Amino acid sequence: MEKHTAHRRRLPFARTWRFRLLAFFAVFGPGFITANVDNDVGGILTYSQAGAKFGYALLWTLIPITIALIVVQEMAARMGAVTGKGLSDLIREEFGLRMTVFTMLILGLADFGNIAAEFAGLASGMGIFGASKYIVVPIGAALVWFVVVQGTYRPVEKILIFFSLIYFTYIASAFAAHPDWRAAVQNTFVPVLNKSSEYLVMLVGIVGTTITPWMQFYLQASIVEKGIGKKEYALSKWDVVLGCIVTDVVAFFIVVACAATLYITGQHDIGDASEAAVALRPLVGQFASLLFAVGLVNAALLSAAILPLATAYNICEGLGVESGVNKRFSEAKVFYWLYTALIVGGAGIVLLPRIPLIKIILFSQVLNGVLIPFVLIFMLKLINRADLMGEYKNSITANVIAWSTSVTMIILTAAMLWTTYAYS
Amino acid sequence: MAITSLALSRLLGSRVADASGQFIGRVREVALRPQEDPNRVSGLVIKTREGERFLTPSMIQIEEDSELRASLPLSEWPAANTLDDFFLLERDLLDQQIIDVHGRKVVRVNDVDLHPEKANGGVSLKIAEVDVGLRGAVRRLLKGVAPSAAVEAVVQKLKPRVIPWEFVDLIETDPARRVKLRIDHERLSQLHPADIADIVEELAPAEREAVFETLDEEVAAEALEEIDLDIQVSIVESLDSDRAADIVEEMDPDAAADLLDQLPGETSEEILEEMEPQEREEVEDLLEHGDKTAAGRMTTEYLSAAPETTAEQSIELLRNFEGGVESVATIYLVDSEGRLSGSVPLQRIVLAPPTQKISELAAKPLVFVRENDQQKKVVEVMEKYNLYTLAVVDDEQHLKGIITADDVITLLREQV
Repeated sequence: MEKHTAHRRRLPFARTWRFRLLAFFAVFGPGFITANVDNDVGGILTYSQAGAKFGYALLWTLIPITIALIVVQEMAARMGAVTGKGLSDLIREEFGLRMTVFTMLILGLADFGNIAAEFAGLASGMGIFGASKYIVVPIGAALVWFVVVQGTYRPVEKILIFFSLIYFTYIASAFAAHPDWRAAVQNTFVPVLNKSSEYLVMLVGIVGTTITPWMQFYLQASIVEKGIGKKEYALSKWDVVLGCIVTDVVAFFIVVACAATLYITGQHDIGDASEAAVALRPLVGQFASLLFAVGLVNAALLSAAILPLATAYNICEGLGVESGVNKRFSEAKVFYWLYTALIVGGAGIVLLPRIPLIKIILFSQVLNGVLIPFVLIFMLKLINRADLMGEYKNSITANVIAWSTSVTMIILTAAMLWTTYAYS
Repeated sequence: MAITSLALSRLLGSRVADASGQFIGRVREVALRPQEDPNRVSGLVIKTREGERFLTPSMIQIEEDSELRASLPLSEWPAANTLDDFFLLERDLLDQQIIDVHGRKVVRVNDVDLHPEKANGGVSLKIAEVDVGLRGAVRRLLKGVAPSAAVEAVVQKLKPRVIPWEFVDLIETDPARRVKLRIDHERLSQLHPADIADIVEELAPAEREAVFETLDEEVAAEALEEIDLDIQVSIVESLDSDRAADIVEEMDPDAAADLLDQLPGETSEEILEEMEPQEREEVEDLLEHGDKTAAGRMTTEYLSAAPETTAEQSIELLRNFEGGVESVATIYLVDSEGRLSGSVPLQRIVLAPPTQKISELAAKPLVFVRENDQQKKVVEVMEKYNLYTLAVVDDEQHLKGIITADDVITLLREQV
């Protein structure tokens, strides 16, 4: 009996505040990492282009986008924590094979565009150093393929995520550029409407680069993989919210920095990475190109490693075929072929002679924006099912915001297509 | 009747006619009562203009093109009232995950192959196998897009990947339904605990809980030991404390201590309260020590005997030993106060004449570690003397437990 009481005394130790802090760090990560990967090549260049072309005029979109991003990401994370299953698993179980194949086609298409964009980013980033894309892209593709298939990816990922903090330099650069803060603040809160097709395309691109189809699948899978359940979710939620805010704060300063440098000097169209790099000049002067190139290449490699892998995982999971880099080739053929095809195909497009790299990047983000409503609608259907989510069902507020986001994107896409046709 | 195999995806939605051949409705669900017959379809739910009807296979004939004809007029078709007591193949099996106990992995169901046989005026539908490959997937994707004969011609060329129904283990997360439909994990429990562990790790938390609610306690305990510690914790937290205690009792005391140490204080207290006094004490002793020390790694299930024991008597001890097989490689000699005086390897006892005293067979030198020695030292000592088990003693040389080779392998793997 004496031993029993000794044991009793020992346990409360584990329940001090220090233990609680540790608990936060144990669930910290998926949201923040997803947010960092979100500021990939497509993100950086889309925000840069928005600032260069329209100055501060598009800043107002960031507040509603941030709210929508938080709501949508929180939904994905919550579904992961409550069901312990990935999004493609849930779509398969609740909507059957056909809907799954349909969703996977959409996801595959959007991701393929993004993968091409990452390699385009690699090519244009290295272009600043004078390297030819015909050398850089195949090497980059081979490197990514081997690192992931060999299973040595995790430590590499940590390094890449660390370097993605380079983009925080935009915050300093925006201040150093002495922007017109009054205009910036005013445009952040007061929408500027413009019916030109270029403006609408840019708008869809900005939403598309921030709220992407792949993020929903990726975040939910990360939550499941990390073993975050209902209990840990209360803490995990803050990780997600923080990640979303960080993504959009960086976006805000990229737009401001570009508006204060490129827009006012009349450089309205970004043709290659060295032009986008000008936005960092107020901070680091002649090193702007170097800093921008390192950041862009880093972002490109990070996402080029994550995206094909995540896409292949999700598609295989939805279709119920074996997946995972810990399986041998003979066990998971579909998975390996798909993974390889996404990399080879994405890199291959970039290698086409005379293909405009920046245009590919911007187009892929518009494609994200066009396809996101499909994913959102599936998520909304799932998260409102009581038998699946129980008391963790969506609140009315979350439903209203997520549905409005979907509907808005459908209307914007329609308007974009219509104006593009009507004026061309 | 030429059809020997009928895919569930073809049967669903197929046309049903009455005795006169007039079209009445379509098949909506295929129902099974596993509590009565786990291998045969008990009825079809038919959607008609006048509501849902329930036909048993004995009331129907299957014609060419998988159309169905009922032997009774519509007015005599029973209504499909409560479907709670049924396992529905479309809702509960198609697209869901099952455990393939033959292939020892978790797979997703693309289609189900039924075997119709003529029986008492109608048919009998036997569930033959589940299709988890491309064939079932393509059939379902093309259904309705192309004529069914053309679809069949295409899919028959694909290499099937099927699992015979007797190797299918179903996962039902709702405890009430599990009891009502008598869905258990009898088939799964035949597997090696390490394979069960691998399978369980692939499942979602609710499904893991479902498996551990129904698995035999001993099997559950052995499987649980093999599972990643974080997942062990989440499984045990999801169980009732008395169920958890029943399983933890059956675990090796050292594995149980590692697990309880990771659980939140209240949960581990509750489980300890529910455990049998003897097991509880063993585990609590282990919990006193840090998990990086020899005592934190040891098990308290070992063989010990007085120095004057004969070889024959010690083999009798072995026969009555209830601990794990990893502990029997050595018999430890202790005096009347429990102090360690020698260790005798099993092979010497087996080869010795029955009347020989085992103290004469003891290995030299006598090797042991102290309770608070670091696990690094444990590994070094065991490696140096090529031991299968190693004695752990306290400051007064009392034998407290042993460390077995499998623990050391686990320990080394954690460090890789």
